[in-house]
This record gives sequence, C-alpha cells and structure tokens, in this order.
Amino acid sequence: MSTTTWGWLVLAFPLAGTILIGLGHKRLGRGPAGAIGTAAILLAFLSAVAALVSLQDHEREHRQLVSSLWDYAVTGSIDARLAILVDPLSVFMMLVITGVSTLIHLYSTSYMKSDRGNARYFAYLNFFVFSMLVLVLAANFFLLIVGWAFVGAASYLLISFWYRRETATKAGIKAFVINVVGDVGLVLGTFFILRHSGTLDFLGTFRAVEEGAFASHNGALVAGCLLLLVGAFAKSAQIPFHTWLPDAMEGPTPVSSLIHAATMVTAGVYLISRMHPLFEHAPAAADVGAIVGCVTLLVAGTIALVQTDIKRVIAYSTMSQIGYMIMGVSAGAYAAGMFHLLTHAFFKALLFMAAGSIIGAMAGAQSLDKMSGFKRSMPFTFGCFVVGGLALSGVPPFSGFFSKDEILAYVGARGDWYVVLYIAGYVGAFLTGIYTWRMIFRAFFNRPSPEAVELEHGHIAHAEFPTNPANGEREDTEVGFPGPEHVVAEREIPMKVAMGLLALGATILGALQIPFVSHVIESFLEPSFEDSTLYSSIHPSDGLVWFGMILGTVLALVGIAIAHFIWVRKPGTSAAIQARFKAVHTFLWHKWYFDELIDFLIVRPWSALGTFCRTWFETVIAEGLLIGGTTGVVKAGSQAVRTLQTGFLRYYAALLLLGGAGVVLYFLIQSS
Amino acid sequence: MTSALTLAAARGPHIDWAGLSPFVSLAAGGVLVLLIGIFLGKSARNGTAILSLVSLAAFIGLSVWQFGENKSIVSDALAIDDLTLTLAFVLGATGIAAVLLSWRSKAAEVAGHPEYYALLLLSILGMLVLIATQNLVTLFVGFELLSIPLYVLCAAEFRREGSLESGLKYLIVGSVGSATLLYGLSLLYGATGSTDFSGIARAIADDGIRTDVLLLSGVGLTLVGLAFKASVAPFHQWTPDVYQGAPTPITAFMAVATKVAAFGVLLRLFDVALPGISNEWGPAVAALAAITIIVGNVGALAQTSLKRILAYSGVAQAGYLLAGVVVGTQLGAKATVFYLVIYAAMNIAAFSVVIARERASVHGDEISSFAGLGKSQPLLAWPLTVAFLGLAGIPATAGFIGKFYLIDALVSGGYAWLAIVLVVGSMISLGYYLKVIAAMWMGDPEPAAAAAAPVAAPGAPPIMAGGSQEADELVEEPQLELFAVAWLATAVIVVFGIVPQPLFELAGKAGESLVGIF
Repeated sequence: MSTTTWGWLVLAFPLAGTILIGLGHKRLGRGPAGAIGTAAILLAFLSAVAALVSLQDHEREHRQLVSSLWDYAVTGSIDARLAILVDPLSVFMMLVITGVSTLIHLYSTSYMKSDRGNARYFAYLNFFVFSMLVLVLAANFFLLIVGWAFVGAASYLLISFWYRRETATKAGIKAFVINVVGDVGLVLGTFFILRHSGTLDFLGTFRAVEEGAFASHNGALVAGCLLLLVGAFAKSAQIPFHTWLPDAMEGPTPVSSLIHAATMVTAGVYLISRMHPLFEHAPAAADVGAIVGCVTLLVAGTIALVQTDIKRVIAYSTMSQIGYMIMGVSAGAYAAGMFHLLTHAFFKALLFMAAGSIIGAMAGAQSLDKMSGFKRSMPFTFGCFVVGGLALSGVPPFSGFFSKDEILAYVGARGDWYVVLYIAGYVGAFLTGIYTWRMIFRAFFNRPSPEAVELEHGHIAHAEFPTNPANGEREDTEVGFPGPEHVVAEREIPMKVAMGLLALGATILGALQIPFVSHVIESFLEPSFEDSTLYSSIHPSDGLVWFGMILGTVLALVGIAIAHFIWVRKPGTSAAIQARFKAVHTFLWHKWYFDELIDFLIVRPWSALGTFCRTWFETVIAEGLLIGGTTGVVKAGSQAVRTLQTGFLRYYAALLLLGGAGVVLYFLIQSS
Repeated sequence: MTSALTLAAARGPHIDWAGLSPFVSLAAGGVLVLLIGIFLGKSARNGTAILSLVSLAAFIGLSVWQFGENKSIVSDALAIDDLTLTLAFVLGATGIAAVLLSWRSKAAEVAGHPEYYALLLLSILGMLVLIATQNLVTLFVGFELLSIPLYVLCAAEFRREGSLESGLKYLIVGSVGSATLLYGLSLLYGATGSTDFSGIARAIADDGIRTDVLLLSGVGLTLVGLAFKASVAPFHQWTPDVYQGAPTPITAFMAVATKVAAFGVLLRLFDVALPGISNEWGPAVAALAAITIIVGNVGALAQTSLKRILAYSGVAQAGYLLAGVVVGTQLGAKATVFYLVIYAAMNIAAFSVVIARERASVHGDEISSFAGLGKSQPLLAWPLTVAFLGLAGIPATAGFIGKFYLIDALVSGGYAWLAIVLVVGSMISLGYYLKVIAAMWMGDPEPAAAAAAPVAAPGAPPIMAGGSQEADELVEEPQLELFAVAWLATAVIVVFGIVPQPLFELAGKAGESLVGIF
C-alpha cells in the first residue's frame, strides 16, 4: 500500500472506534468498550509504523506526500480539499500520538473500570485521538482548523467528563472558551495569509512565501503569524492563555495524561514547526513566540514550587516544559523541539499515571499535604515516579536531559539576545529539579500517612464517603461521578504494563539524539525542514554543548539536593521559608494572580455589558413593557394598542429615531 | 375582439411573457386560491393548500426554465438574471415549507384558508419583485406588496392577543420603515434624476456628485428603511416581539423569506446602483453589521423562549449577511447568496421543530418544552441540533462553510476587523445554541403539570374582548409534514456541509450577474 493510504488508515481506525463505541454504548459492557477503544488506537499505531516504513522507502527529496480524498470546496479564492500531508514531521507526530495513546487507553481500561460512564469515556477518548490526528495530518489550513476545533471540543468533553461535579463542568467551560479564543486566532491568521498566498494548501503557501508573495506585505505576514501564535498559545497553555490547564486537571487522570500532557497541548509546538517557512519570513513573530515560551517556563516553574495539589504541580510543570518547546521551535530548534516533545510525552504521561496511582491509594484525595511515606507500600509507583522525575529534571542519562539541553544549546548558539533566553532556560531547569523532587519527597518519603499504612497491610483506603477533591463536597458514585472503586498500579496488570513501557521510553529514548553520537531525529525530520535556513545553518559549538550538559546536570542535582534538604533532611525548613517570604508565597500560591487579572480585565467588563444588555432588552423592553403593561392597568380589548401607546412604541420610536439619525448624520458628514 | 388584440400586439409594447412567467404564476396562484377557496367550502383546508403548492411549484419550475437568460423586462424595471432566480428558488422553497407548516395550523383555520394562503402567495410575489427590481419605483411597490400581507398574516390568529399585538406592532414599525425608505428613494431620485439603478450609477459616475448632500442623505435613509425589514440593529427591536407573537409558521416564513428579499435588494441596490460611492457607504454599513452581530448574539443569551432565541439569532445572522454586502465585491455577493441559502435551510429546520413542539407541549416554545427531547423524540431533536450547530458554524455543517466564505470575502475586501467581530460573535452564539442542545440531549423532561399556563381566575372578564384565552388543545399524533420539512432542511444543511461545490457554483453564478463590480 502507498504511504498515504497508511496515513488515511491512521485516521480511519480511531474514527471507526468512536462510531462503534458511540453507537453501541448501551449494549457494550464495560470491558468491550475499553477493548475496542484500545484496539482501534493500537491499529492506528501499527498503521503509523507502516507509514513510517513506507515513507523511508522514498527518496529523501520526495518525502512530502499529499493525498486528496475529494475537493471539499474549491472556488475562486478558496481551495479546501480533504487532503492529508504525510511527511516526516506528520509521521513523527502520528507515532507519538498513537503510541502514547495506546498505552493510555490500556491504562484507562483499568483506571476507569468501575465508572458507569465507561463506554462514553472511550468514545470520547477515541474521538480525541481522531481529532488530534486530523490536526497533524492536515495538508491545508482548512482541515487544520477543523482538527483544531475538534480537539478543543474533545478536550471540553473529557475535562467535564464527570459532569455532575460542578468544578469539572466549570473547568471544561473555561478550557473551551480559551480554546475558542485560540480558534479565532487561527482562523483569522489563516485568512491573513490566504489573502496574499492565494491558497490554503500548506506546501502551496510555503512556495508562495518563498516566491515573495509577502515581499511587499510583510506586515500582513507578521500579523498572520501572530494570530497563529494566539492559536498556538491557547492550545499549548502559554501565558496569558494558560489558566485553563491547571483547572483541566478536573478530568480523569488518564485524560490529564493524554490530552493535557502528551498530545493536545503540544499542538502549538507542532503548529509553529509546521509553519516554519512563514515564521522564518516573519522573524518578529517568531521572536514573540520565543519570548512568551521563555516567560511561561519561568512563571510556571515558580508556581509549581508552592502548589499542593499533586496533579496541578504536574500541570504547571507541563506548562513550563511546553514553554521550552515553544521557545525552541520559535528560535528555530525544530528537531530539538520535536525531540523534547517526544521525550516529554513519555515522562510526563508516566508522571500523571503514577500520580493517578497515588490518588487511587489516597481514595481520591489529591493534596500533597495529606500524602507521605508511600515509598514502601507502592514500590512500583515509586520507581516510575523516580524515573519520570529524573527525566523531567534532566539528570543524565534519562531522556529529558538530552532533549532539554539540545533546545538550550541551540538557543544559546543563536547568540545575540537569545543568550537571555538561554540563561532563563537554565534557571527554569534548576526550578524543575526543586519542584519535581519536592513532589516526590513529600509523597513518598517521611512517615507513612494513614492511607499508606493501610496499603502496607494490603487494603486500599476508602473514604467514608466519596468527596470532590477540589472543594470537599460530598458526591455519589452514580453516572457523572468517578466510580466507587479505586485502583493502584501495584495491583492492575494493564496499568503496570502501560507505566512500565512509558518508564522504559522515558529512560532510553534520549539515545535517539545524543550529542556527537547519534542524530536520528534530526536526520529523519530533515526532509520536512529542508527549506529552512535555520535548520541546517546553526549548530552549537562543541564547547557550548559540553558546557550546557555539565551545567544542566549540576543544576538538576543541586535542585534535587535542595529539595531533599528542605523536605526530607529538615522538614521544618519549608514552613520557615514560607513564613519568612510570606508575600512571595502568597503571590505564587495565587499563581501570579493571572486568573484575577483576566477576571478584572475581561470577564467583569463583559459580564457588566451582559447584565446591562439584559436589563435593557429584557427588563425594560420585554418584562417592563410586556408583562408590566398587563398588570391590571390595561383593560380588555384595547390592551395591545394601549401597551403600544404607553411606552412600548415610544421607546421603540426613540431608539429607531436615534439609530436613523446616527446613520443619516454619518452620511451628512461624508458629504461636502 | 380578435382584431383589438392583434392591434394591441402590433402597437403595444413588447411583453416578454416568458420572463414574466414566474411573477404571473404567483399572482395567478394568489387570485385562484382566493376565488376557488370560496367554492371549496369545508374542503378548503386541503384544496387551498394544494393549490398554493401547485402555484409555488410552477413558480420554481418557471424560474428554473428562465435560469441563465439574464435579461431585463418591463422597461428595464425588473432583472431576470441569475441572482433573481437563485433567490427565487429559495423563496419558492421557503414558500412550500411555509404552506406545509401552516397546513394544520390554527392560524390558517382562524383566518380562513383561502385568505391565508392568498396573502402568503402575494407576499412572496412582493419579495420576488423586490429581489428583481432595478428601479426605485418598483422597489417600493415590491416592498409594500411584501409588507402588507405580512402585517395581516402576523395577526392571523386574531383571537389570540399576542398575535394581534404582533401584527399591530409590525404594522406601525413597518410603516415607519416604509416612510423612511420612501423618503430616501425620493432623495436618491432628486439627486441623480433617475429612478433606474443603472441611471443612478451613471449619474454618480458622470456628474461627480459623490459627496452630494442629497445623494448621501438619500442613501442613508434608504439604508435605514431596508435595515428595518432585514432586522439590522438598531432597527431590530420589533423582531423578537413580532416573532414571538406571530403564528409560528408565519414567523418561520418571515424569518427566512423577508431576509432573503431584503438582502437581495440590498445587494442589487448597493452593488448595481451605488458601487461608485462604496467608500462612502461602506463604513456605515460595516458599523451597522458589527452592531447587529453583537446586539443579536448578546441579546439571545438571556432568552428562554425558542422563538425569541431564533429572533435574536436571526438578528445576528442578518449582521453576518450584511457583512457580505459591506465589501461591495462579487466575492461578497457570492458569499451573501451562499449564506442566504443555508440560512434559509437552518431556520426552516429549527422552526418546524419549534412548531411541532408547540403543538404537542404545554410549555409551548420555552426551552423546558425541549428538555429531554433527545430521548423522547430523537427524530425531532436531530434536526434542531443540526440546525443550531449549523447556525453556530460548527465544521461539517453548511453553516461553517458559509461563515468561512463570508470571512474570506471580508478579509479579501479589506474589512478584516469586521471578520474579527463576526468570529467573536459566532463564539458568543455558542452560548445560547449549545444551551438548547444541552437541554435536549442531557436534560430531563419537566412534568407537564408544573408549568401549565396560568389560568385566569374564574369569572374574571377576558383580557381582550372576544378573545379566547383558553389553552390550545395539544396534538399527540406525529404530524408528518413537519417531520418531512425538518428533515429535508436538515439534509440540505448536512449535504451542503459535506459537498458544498454545487452551491458554490450556483452562488457564483448569482454573484457574477452583478456585472458592475469585481
């Protein structure tokens, strides 16, 4: 079969899974739904591997294959085709997405087994994978937008999966709204670019850019790229569009693992890489991307230092790591950015799964304040957490070490003011070591918590009654809530297999790209970036690479040592620091007050406007005049007329006259 | 007698009966329905409805026959071109839907079937004149021919207070609109010395009167007059009240057909007669479009009655459509025509479901009447879901393509900011469309007794003389014609969402018949 046929198959399997589970959700029991869902994604993964193999058979120069199923809407100015682009970049993304998704589906079959909405869950999850694959396989802006919007919708469905938890539905709405803002950016950016390039097709657009379609409209290109960045920032939770991601942790843990760590949030990184010919012609926009990525990685790192909800700590860490990727690909480190995307998908998914296992042992509680001493009772989970933590904080030879350092080395090699980003990146790496190991030390070390003790005796703790970890409200375990049972990785084979494979990947995947030794990813991706001037021209010097590796190792180890000192050696230190720097702590605890700022700047004015309109349209016009008119004042027969005469019409007439006068006045001013 | 006819044929003006035939089919249909209805007696309900359908089918058939002719008839007063005929299809289809929706309605029963259907057909005739017109005088004739039957139809259920109020309100506000329009038209004539669209365009080009006070005031007043009919803010206030009060089949007809006619004439007036001063009217129309989009979408958020939601949503959609007029390019005209077609389908689908629920539920058109519909009547829930997803512009529906096309036209025409407003507006609109969809699929039906209509205290005088305030009897059995209309419209939304190419070509032909612009 041809390479693109495999590409279509990659899309077909998850779609078939969605439809099958969606239609049969009443008849399918809990087991079959999970099995079908997992099998569909596994088949998609195998197809992706086949696509990889068959792509490698092509000549290097002919590894960008477009296949169009049918012309969706082709008219004078729009050429929207249902077409996919199979090239090394999309194959790379396909492999990451389907590979990690398969493991997470497998994990979910255990994790969600007692949930009454099991079939619904797998239908959503398959739909998400399908949408994400549409996003990365799209060969034109049109399909990209469709995939982009579908991914947002799927994320919404999964965040508010436990829909009877008010906190979950609120978080879902927040994520959706911010994502729609991103969609708006993407749509408008597309049109800014379409206007001058004349085509929606990616390769056509890139050709047009090379041929100078924007030579005299560089402003439009920069504006278009900035709007694309808005889309990327919203999906990838970069400042100031990041506030939805921590709240999205209301979703089931495998969802956090898949969508909010491994795949969806990396869509922005993919978008910038895919659009690199545009960004290279609009360096101003690329610089904005790099700076925002850098700011995000620092801000998120500091917030992660003080949060106590274990999933939120990981969520902020995700933001921070994606900051690295966005910074990298914006600065031109495409291979390094994609490499970090790959390793991050593994170790972050692993951390979330391990966190899910602890949360299971804690009977649903997520606060680090309550966890401690799980080392002995959950050795497997502990091992996974340590592997993930080492990879995340960048200790050699774990995968995160190589990928993060490669981004930073490249950014450093660009010289000029990028050096600032370079330094900030290492500051971030230092913070990463501290907050990651703070989490590990607090959860696994010290005196065992009651739940840990119980687990040591062979029981999984069950709360007296289930509560919502976000607000402590009591809840039942019927549909729309998490199921009654809790599961830990120690006892579930599927969870163990999934976590084990991810841990393996998190450990060894760094070998794909070791400085001076191997450059698998860079040479694999090269056909996608052959038109890039940055890809081939900038190479960090040997000295810089060595310096970076040593600095990275030292910073990570120092960070871990500090965390060990504060939370294990001298457990009181943390409280003392908190008391000493109360203002700083409060500031970080409130996440730099971003939520409050957005509330003040955007939500309040709009809701005020909404209230105003409501009083205006509703109270004054409808209720005041329609209902108010009827309250006994008006007698039978002439009621309708009377209402009209006693204000209704006067009101209308005034508004109409005002409007009419406004329009006519405008035209009078226009005349001379 | 024969010699007189021969003489008339020889001496009189040449009459292009082929070109006139769509008009004749409607006028003849209206008269026949009225006359034959008298003799039908008890069987008037079916007889007049069938006769109206035949007349509308003939109208559509004759329009298809004339397609591609591109000529002017009646001393250049009417243009029989692809734009007219494309919109004529939409009018015909809407008319057929309206007849089917009215077939078992109370409104037609109360008003008398022959009168009801005759007025409906005459109103469509007025709309046809309006979209074909290229002369200021015929414009006004069409405008009035459209409006007057509608005033009556709104009040067709004259024993129901809401319906009467709706008709009266529409009459008064509509008259203000007509007066403004007439004033504007007379100023246009005064400034250019021509009632002909092409004559006006020539006068503007030749005489250098681009900034003439008379001309621009005329444009302003004409714009306001037409904005009334298209429910463009701030001239939209009548819309929710009239839509809510009018018999729902008439609301559906008004929401769709009136808008088709109003935007047809807006396109022709601005793109044939006034393209020379597009720099002058462009910003004003753009501002109106932006206000309309925001007012419509924000206004709909707080509504609980489906008819009011659809009214405000109609206002917002008018803003989107107006955006296509703003750019003054053929691309804009094509996008507008494209959107008009799918707008018609989406609204017809939504309104037929509303009618079905209104006849079956004590909650009327309140959202509570739709709660849990997904479980109890999925055959009704699906069309409404698809229609609302389409109105919100979700991918894979025709509404998405329509908005895509409009945004394309806006950005290419240099109105990127209006495109932003449009997208933001659609974003807000998700708020109320999804609310209804969520209620249908996730909500539980409310017990009927809880919200029974408030009954006046026994012995109290009726609120209105001769009025009957007792609740309408509810219909239990499914009314097949409603399902048929809803599902046909849904099919249009989905099919054109997946295969929009034919519609692109049709809209393209319609846009290209406006030869004066590019």
